[in-house]
Amino acid sequence: MTDPGWTHAAFAKPSDAQDALERLAEAGVAASEIEVRSSIPLGHEVCPVGPQVHSRVPLMAVLGGLMGGTIAILLVTLTSRAYPLPTGGMPIVPLPTAGVITFEGLALGAILCTVATVFFECRLPRLGVPAGPFDRMLADGSIVIAVRSDRVPSQWAAKATATAPTESQ
Amino acid sequence: MAAPANTAKEAALLRPITGVRPGLILGSLVTGALAGLLFFSWGYQIKNDIGVAGINRPVFWGFYITNFVFWIGISHAGTLISAILRVTSAEWRRPVTRCAEAITVFALTIGGLFPLIHLGRPWLFWFMIPFPNSRGLWPNFRSPLVWDMMAIGTYLTGSVLYLLLPLLPDMAILRDRAMAETPASLKARLFSFMALGWRGTTQQWHSLEAGIKVMAVIIIPVAVSVHTIVSWDFSMTLAPMWHSTIFGPYFVVGAIYSGIGVLMVAMYLLRRGLGLQEYLNDKVFNNLGLLFVAFTVIWTYFTAAEHITVWYGHEPSEMAVFWERVSGDYALVFWGMILVNTVIPLAVLSFRWGRKPFATAVVGFGVLIGMWIERFLIVVGTLRLPRMEFTVGTYSPSWVELGILVGSFGMFAMLYFLFVQFAPIVSLWEVREGDHIAGSAAASPEPVTEEAVR
Amino acid sequence: MTRWGMVIDTDRCTGCGACVVACAAENNIQTVGEEEAHNGRAMHWLRIERHYEGTFPDVKVRFTPVLCQHCAAAPCEPVCPVYATYRTPEGLNAMVYSRCIGTRYCANNCPYTVRVFNWHDGEWPEPLERQLNPDVSVRPAGVMEKCTFCVQRIQDAQDLAKDDDREIGDGDVQTACAQSCPARAIVFGDLGNPASEVVRLARSERSSQLLEDLGTHPSVFYLRGGE
Repeated sequence: MTDPGWTHAAFAKPSDAQDALERLAEAGVAASEIEVRSSIPLGHEVCPVGPQVHSRVPLMAVLGGLMGGTIAILLVTLTSRAYPLPTGGMPIVPLPTAGVITFEGLALGAILCTVATVFFECRLPRLGVPAGPFDRMLADGSIVIAVRSDRVPSQWAAKATATAPTESQ
Repeated sequence: MAAPANTAKEAALLRPITGVRPGLILGSLVTGALAGLLFFSWGYQIKNDIGVAGINRPVFWGFYITNFVFWIGISHAGTLISAILRVTSAEWRRPVTRCAEAITVFALTIGGLFPLIHLGRPWLFWFMIPFPNSRGLWPNFRSPLVWDMMAIGTYLTGSVLYLLLPLLPDMAILRDRAMAETPASLKARLFSFMALGWRGTTQQWHSLEAGIKVMAVIIIPVAVSVHTIVSWDFSMTLAPMWHSTIFGPYFVVGAIYSGIGVLMVAMYLLRRGLGLQEYLNDKVFNNLGLLFVAFTVIWTYFTAAEHITVWYGHEPSEMAVFWERVSGDYALVFWGMILVNTVIPLAVLSFRWGRKPFATAVVGFGVLIGMWIERFLIVVGTLRLPRMEFTVGTYSPSWVELGILVGSFGMFAMLYFLFVQFAPIVSLWEVREGDHIAGSAAASPEPVTEEAVR
Repeated sequence: MTRWGMVIDTDRCTGCGACVVACAAENNIQTVGEEEAHNGRAMHWLRIERHYEGTFPDVKVRFTPVLCQHCAAAPCEPVCPVYATYRTPEGLNAMVYSRCIGTRYCANNCPYTVRVFNWHDGEWPEPLERQLNPDVSVRPAGVMEKCTFCVQRIQDAQDLAKDDDREIGDGDVQTACAQSCPARAIVFGDLGNPASEVVRLARSERSSQLLEDLGTHPSVFYLRGGE
């Protein structure tokens, strides 16, 4: 089955873009068949009607932190106890020093997991994606909405500054 | 009113990237030569042993550790501006975040070199890394230097990622423009690569914003811990006037203070050199100046507390160090430091006329010098006067140490010059977003809070 | 339990410096030259401190040889990032030259300032290299060093005792400084052996330690106060 391709429309104002999205919702186009792109985050003003997008980033940050902290504690306690060398009358694994290393491990784990989750959710890196027809206008601040060409209702892009179909995404 | 963006204003910002500016290239080359001086001096030192530096017994640490603490301190600029102001939703941060984050990354890179530079056998630095080996080597997790390695490693990783994440949408803007205008050029390909395929979909924005928010929250305690741990290199010892409980918070405050100082100098130079008056406007300098004054007061408070308690306690080995600073060999530098760190900032920045760009930049430059002196006094001032009076010493830096000091500033400037030519020094999308929010608030009849819009 | 220690009688010490020279000879310590010594880079593991006591005309000079105190709670040990210094089971503060990467943190945390650092490689122009003690390594530039209580002599005595199937006796081990002192001001021995000379002297009422209030628990006792 051939890819029907997408039809793009560029809008100057967020209100115009939201208008188009509402018409698409009225025409029964599902959110998965619509893609909204912008050069600044407009999530609350311009969003396809449908279930809210949720990000797993905060949860993954916590999990990453716990993982990093656990690894750090194990590293410090197990390795120091394996070959104990007394220094300065201190215990082999003092609580304060193990705490410092654990804190940094926690932070590093949280940081790496956060960034990994962002990359995963954004499907990055993704090089070699062909340029869309209105990318230049997008860079200058327009909002671009793309709909699968076989689902495009009439008049949805009434307030668009430009429209164009593409063969495939 | 959101899009299209104010392209006239943005043109000034994008000119260093899209065009070729001889001034910037010259600047890159000159500072590059200074960076070369750093590596030349360092290479000379590696070849001819660490003894070519001016350090001795008892002053085992000198310029290198001073520089180390100084540069790590400067890196706190980015964290304060970018993270704390993001977390508190302070709108005026928008034009400033990227140049502050860049300062952080570059300062950390340079600061991270100094623990290597000051080693007696730097080619064996990897002895400190915990990895399974057959030589029976393992780091001592009880040592503050190992905590340094972990903390600075985490902070550097976090700061680089915290710089790169918000850079993605800007790189996408540059990519889309370059692909439309000069698709075959090297810069177009570079921006395509750096943008990593960012498309600006709703899902991507949602994820990125969540990521930036979370990173901002994580990076603040990391930054606090980093400079606390660096300060613990000193306060965990028994050396007179090092073994002080106040060092943790004192150093963090001093770090943020010196960081804002560098930021003000950098912002002024960017404003003048690149014509960014519309972005780095008087309001931003005014707000930074107010923040700066707050930190002047806090820093002065900590310094006073440190010295008064030493003086009152009157412990002999500490008093020797105290008098050396207040009336002895280092009196001139000590009081000079008080002048540029307390007197001048309070005198100038307490008034609105003082919080203009040039005045704040001059005060910021003074604070840079003052904070370097503070680190020097802490490191060398104490080591000169150990507990066993028979081994008091002196210290004077050699050309190698001076070369590395000057070279480090050159390297910082070089990295900045290069960065400015490849990425927008003001975060384009964040400023656009801020303008959009302000525009909606002005246009709509009811007050539009940031939460409702965002 | 063996615990090496030393007693130095400052009432006997004449400040002649023979201990310093003997230590340098025994332990392959480099001579740095006049200019470097002037810049605070002399490498002696042992220094003779000169303190004037009393006022004119009853001025006395007290000479105090200061060396590594081999503290039981040594501040220099926990700060080394690579375990180049630690406490051995026999009570020595060990220095592991091959691990040292030269951060010099240990020297900063030593309250007695007894550690010295190799700022350059040592030079022994011919035929001086023949004087080097084969039992002691020659340290390269970038490495910290300090008094080891002549650990090579301790090793040697322990090996001999093991060969003869006996315990080490008091006086079997003499550090170079103790051996060379003409006034017999330095006594070295096992603090864990109640019958040893060091224990007898350490318990004397003239006995005290340097910087006692810091809680480093040094293994070196100083005798003073007698006539």
